[in-house]
Amino acid sequence: MNIIVCIKQVPDAKDVRLDPKTNTLSREGVQSIMNPYDQHAVEEAVRIRESLGGEVTVLTMGPPQAEAVLRQAISCGADHGVLVSDRAFAGADTWATSYTLARAIATLGSFELVLCGKQAIDGDTAQVGPGLAMRLDMPFVTCIQKVREASETGMVVERMMDDGYDVIKVTYPVLLTVVKDLNEPRVPSLKGTMKAKKAVIKTLTAADIKAESALIGLSGSPTKVVKVFPPEPRGERCMLTGTVDEQVEQLVVKLRPYLP
Amino acid sequence: MLQIDKDLCIGCGICESQCAFGGIQVADGTARVGDSCTLCGACVDACEVGALSITGTEKSMQMNLADWSGVWVYCEFRRGELAQVSLELLGIGRKLADVRRVPLSAVLMGHETGDAAEKLIGHGADTVYRVEDSALALFTDDMYGAVMTALILKHRPEIVLAGATAIGRSFIPGVATRLHTGLTADCTKLEIRSDDGALLQTRPAFGGNIMATIECPSTRPQMATVRPRVMKALEFDTLRTGRIVDVAPPADQLRSRIEVIESVASEGAKVNIQESDILVSGGRGLDSERGFVLIEELAKALNADVSASRAAVDAGWISYPHQVGQTGKTVAPKLYIACGISGAIQHVAGMQSADTIVAINRDRNAPIFDVADFGIVGDLYEVIPKLIAKIEEHRGS
Repeated sequence: MNIIVCIKQVPDAKDVRLDPKTNTLSREGVQSIMNPYDQHAVEEAVRIRESLGGEVTVLTMGPPQAEAVLRQAISCGADHGVLVSDRAFAGADTWATSYTLARAIATLGSFELVLCGKQAIDGDTAQVGPGLAMRLDMPFVTCIQKVREASETGMVVERMMDDGYDVIKVTYPVLLTVVKDLNEPRVPSLKGTMKAKKAVIKTLTAADIKAESALIGLSGSPTKVVKVFPPEPRGERCMLTGTVDEQVEQLVVKLRPYLP
Repeated sequence: MLQIDKDLCIGCGICESQCAFGGIQVADGTARVGDSCTLCGACVDACEVGALSITGTEKSMQMNLADWSGVWVYCEFRRGELAQVSLELLGIGRKLADVRRVPLSAVLMGHETGDAAEKLIGHGADTVYRVEDSALALFTDDMYGAVMTALILKHRPEIVLAGATAIGRSFIPGVATRLHTGLTADCTKLEIRSDDGALLQTRPAFGGNIMATIECPSTRPQMATVRPRVMKALEFDTLRTGRIVDVAPPADQLRSRIEVIESVASEGAKVNIQESDILVSGGRGLDSERGFVLIEELAKALNADVSASRAAVDAGWISYPHQVGQTGKTVAPKLYIACGISGAIQHVAGMQSADTIVAINRDRNAPIFDVADFGIVGDLYEVIPKLIAKIEEHRGS
């Protein structure tokens, strides 16, 4: 089984804070982490390899320092790490990103299974996985919460829906995006950490993947950011005071418009 | 490229503090761009001296925009029902179409859709493209995507909207990719720019910590998924008239490479918390599963639904479809009552768009109080029963 997992380095949301005075984003002390959903994708890929054999390649598009998440994935069991990095990719929206990843995957070879996290927590779009599947001409299923069976020829998976779940049978090649219910990612072993340190990360540039310059980065992105601004501040908070009975009384008055 | 005018830059550092990616730093009194710049433009807007600009934004793809006209809404139909968000989208779609002076069309796909098409007309659609086929009874990305793509290519609407639901967020990105056009996820505001009629799409990013307005300048259609409960549906108007166009897709569009074996409506997930008006939400502070009995009683008194923080879901007290937050669902009810939820940023990201937020927590310093409109510091097991009693009293009066 040849498996490729697309991962992303993102700023850790728990470090991102709004400065209440200026209502602007404070970046101080923000750490970069592997996108949480992607950790579950890596874990599942490693589990499938453990049962069916094969190799797990992790792929990321990003600046040179994004190499860190590739090493992290290797420490958790992935075999190879590939960094797609080029100044020309900067400013890519999801359309240009899925094009770039598809070109990189085509350059690397053929894969039976492509795994992605459901979405990245910085952009929250959930668009790259489906877009990538289209470009690879693979069927895809999003939001996998459980793998019921994985065999040499295909899988039976549960996909999370808003009103429950669907049970779906797929045959390879297929692209799946995953949610966190899927598994519990392992902690890197000592051996894994050593392997990650020594691993040689392959780097691919725009030229290496034969990307058309009109389709990458900012100019290859159909969408354009017009404006970025802080959300409207919420009104003044009101801490109720008095005994519990008094507070409850005040609250019910405030909630009157909502009461049945 | 992000360009820095070194003569204008005063090295104040505002750009650095605005960048969520660490992509720009001030060194030796002037700003410098690093590798992690994503060209998001946050620093450009924030720079008070106008020293920053982004070049190379010309789009390489160009379509003849005048060939595309009309507003379309994909209307989700599942388990015999229209999704509420579809009616909300017809509400905003009607407004956009009226500003653009173009018709509003709905796309309805499914099996045994009954009077759903008539309902869509009553809620604002001028035309309904109805695609009825037993193959569409269960959702698959490839069939829904192929039918939608073909319809769009045939009729060329300028705007296509869909709900940011599990289904919309899954197959619409594939459609946009095929059409070589842009898609903006999870919009909370849509408006037409008066100069050129462009659709301005505003969405939260970074768990709601920043807002971005996005346009799709040179390709069509302009596509967006829109969060449930943000837009307002129009009242059903029995006098509204419209046209129903039945579409029979060719067989190749109705072939899927995946097989849905079974579709399970799970217990608890019957309620989609993204569509609730009022949510009573429980967290770690409930201390045990029995806390949810109390949460449910309060929810019942308010005609509300029950949701939870990640801590409560991870503890196994309630199932994942109820989880609010970054790794759960994003909700925007009219009223959100957070009980025993500390208010970690990942949770707040999923609920801060609620109209009114009430927090009940024993820890006076819990960050949930920073986003709450009304806060009560106290023991849940004392506060909630009293609150229920008061609500009942109010109802009786």
